[in-house]
Amino acid sequence: MKRPVRLEPGQKLVLTANRLLDGRTVWWCADGTWNLHIGCAALLDADEAEALLSRASEQAQRDGVVGVYDTAVQAVVPPEPVTVREKIRAHGPTVHPEFAVETEQ
Amino acid sequence: MSIPVGHYQYDPIDRDFLQARIAEFEGQVQRRLDGTLSEDEFKPLRLMNGLYLQLHAYMLRVAIPYGILDSRQLRKLGEIARRYDRDYGHFTTRQNIQFNWIRLEDTPAILRELAEVDMHAIQTSGNCIRNVTADEYAGAAADELVDPRVHAEILRQWSTLHPEFTFLPRKFKIAISGSPNDRVAARFHDIGILARPGADGAPVFRIFVGGGLGRTPIIGEELFDSVREEHLLATLEAILRVYNARGRRDNIYKARIKILVQAIGVEAYREAVEAELAQMDLERYRLTPEAVAAIRSRFAVPQLEAPADADAVLAQQRRDDPLFDRWVRSNTHVHRDPGHIIATVSLKPAGGIPGDATSAQIARLADLADAYSFGEIRITHLQNVVLGHVRKDRLRDLWLGLSEVGLAEANIGLIGDIVACPGLDYCALANARSIPIAQKLGARFADTALQAEIGALRINISGCINACGHHHAGHIGLLGVDKRGEEFFQLTVGGRAENGAAIGTILGAALPEDETVDAIARLVDCYLGRRESGETFLDTLTRLGHEPFREAAYETV
Ligand code: HEM
Ligand code: SF4
Repeated sequence: MKRPVRLEPGQKLVLTANRLLDGRTVWWCADGTWNLHIGCAALLDADEAEALLSRASEQAQRDGVVGVYDTAVQAVVPPEPVTVREKIRAHGPTVHPEFAVETEQ
Repeated sequence: MSIPVGHYQYDPIDRDFLQARIAEFEGQVQRRLDGTLSEDEFKPLRLMNGLYLQLHAYMLRVAIPYGILDSRQLRKLGEIARRYDRDYGHFTTRQNIQFNWIRLEDTPAILRELAEVDMHAIQTSGNCIRNVTADEYAGAAADELVDPRVHAEILRQWSTLHPEFTFLPRKFKIAISGSPNDRVAARFHDIGILARPGADGAPVFRIFVGGGLGRTPIIGEELFDSVREEHLLATLEAILRVYNARGRRDNIYKARIKILVQAIGVEAYREAVEAELAQMDLERYRLTPEAVAAIRSRFAVPQLEAPADADAVLAQQRRDDPLFDRWVRSNTHVHRDPGHIIATVSLKPAGGIPGDATSAQIARLADLADAYSFGEIRITHLQNVVLGHVRKDRLRDLWLGLSEVGLAEANIGLIGDIVACPGLDYCALANARSIPIAQKLGARFADTALQAEIGALRINISGCINACGHHHAGHIGLLGVDKRGEEFFQLTVGGRAENGAAIGTILGAALPEDETVDAIARLVDCYLGRRESGETFLDTLTRLGHEPFREAAYETV
């Protein structure tokens, strides 16, 4: 089922999902928590990501998230998703700058 | 005002049903939260209650049956936007409203609040018969032959939780109009119904089947020319049965009725429906004049009284105020009563988000509806709002009131009246963002004098092939495509949803997002430069063919 991941140089994978309670986009952090901010997302190599992804999916209910998957980011600080879709998930709708995720606590 | 005009009055049975349904959903949400239900198990249940999971949050789609609301209901929608969302709502092309920032745990409370004003989110999703849409000028327009709301309500009652049609092969959309001028895109629906008076005065119905947009756009074909009122429900039941039995369930992209009609041909479909009718108990489905009258009696009728000089007052005000005059020209429609007029409130401010309204605007619209239009509001399939019965001598006061909350844009039917789906800013299925392109086009053509000069020109934008923004039906259509993670737009021209329905023709290769607005501006310039007197964009396009427009769009300077 799993599609092969081809990462360009300078790219890593992060895990993302939506929070069960409110549907908000969250990112998996190295301390095992899920956070609204992509800044804390753990940067993973492909094989690392595969193992963590299956563990995170098994634990999704307990962690209060749905639909866990991985996506490629540029490994900069903070990490920046490669696709427009994931950029919008990370930062919020482009048409409402006042809802920028960065400005939330 | 005791009972609101415009829509059907619920009775205790309807209300008990809604409460039972909410209690059921509340239990389902509880079981989802405690883990008894998995996401896979819960998803179809939440969709049946209008709750989607989008990119940033849950989205709740609330049904507005045939697009008609009373001010109390609209006020409630504004309160929900303020309390449970981020202070705004989005009106859709299916005359519904969507809230974009909903919390799962709040949903039962929101549904309770909606039920207080006889509203719900049932049949806004899933493979059932969806909310029936109707002409936004129903019961008001001078050109109307039959008020479609009574039959729209009959269809709503027939289709709500219809046990046989809860798990159709795919979603099913019905639209009904009673005007010779199709304002519901009847030929782009699974079933489109056009009502007209029959010889004996009772309405007869022309029925189209198998229209649709999406990845396979198809114009509906006429199944029957004149179905008598008493046989309307039996006929629809038979059409649905044939589809339910024979529509494809193996491939989601081939599951709509349009694919079945194309596969077997409309004649074979008609024969199958007739065969079904021949073995049905027609008596059970007979729509008697008494039954219709009983439904009609649940609609309060506005008492249309206007002073004798109402028309003269309006004429004078238009002469005195050119800005008001421009708004009247684009944003009103002739009412059946000479002292009244239909006003369309544009939710397309230049540079704004098509179809969005803030809770403050929603509240003001409710107040203005109370003051000027019997407390009745209609949502249009082009994402605007109609106040159906405004006294002519009070129209200017209404316009001034709208101006105070930024709702007096004079652009209905013009290039600024853009239809756009939520696109990649919200939608989990999107390829590209629809709203920013709409905003850029709106800003580019912000000048209302220029818009009036350009004349009738409809731009429709969808963020993916699902076509929620009806791009195939736009005079100019834009479809978002994804090329290696970048946003591109494919341009079509010549689509139309009104009489003479047509699917737009693709002009050429998709353009990068940042070249799209310029290309459209060149298309418009091409039309302005070459049109003959009195021609609209579609007229010029028809006369000249696509080639000059293709050249203009792809010309690189
Ligand atoms: C944001 C969440 C939405 C999702 C996930 C969604 C999903 C879809 C899908 C999958 C289809 C294609 C169905 C098919 O061809 O079988 C579709 C069609 C359609 N949707 Fe949406 N949609 C969304 C929002 C909207 C909005 C906001 C509108 C109104 C502006 C809308 C109105 C329509 C219409 C009119 C069609 C095409 C007509 C037809 O069914 O042939 N949808 N939608
Ligand atoms: S057309 Fe595509 S992008 Fe737009 S709302 Fe529909 S599914 Fe989403």
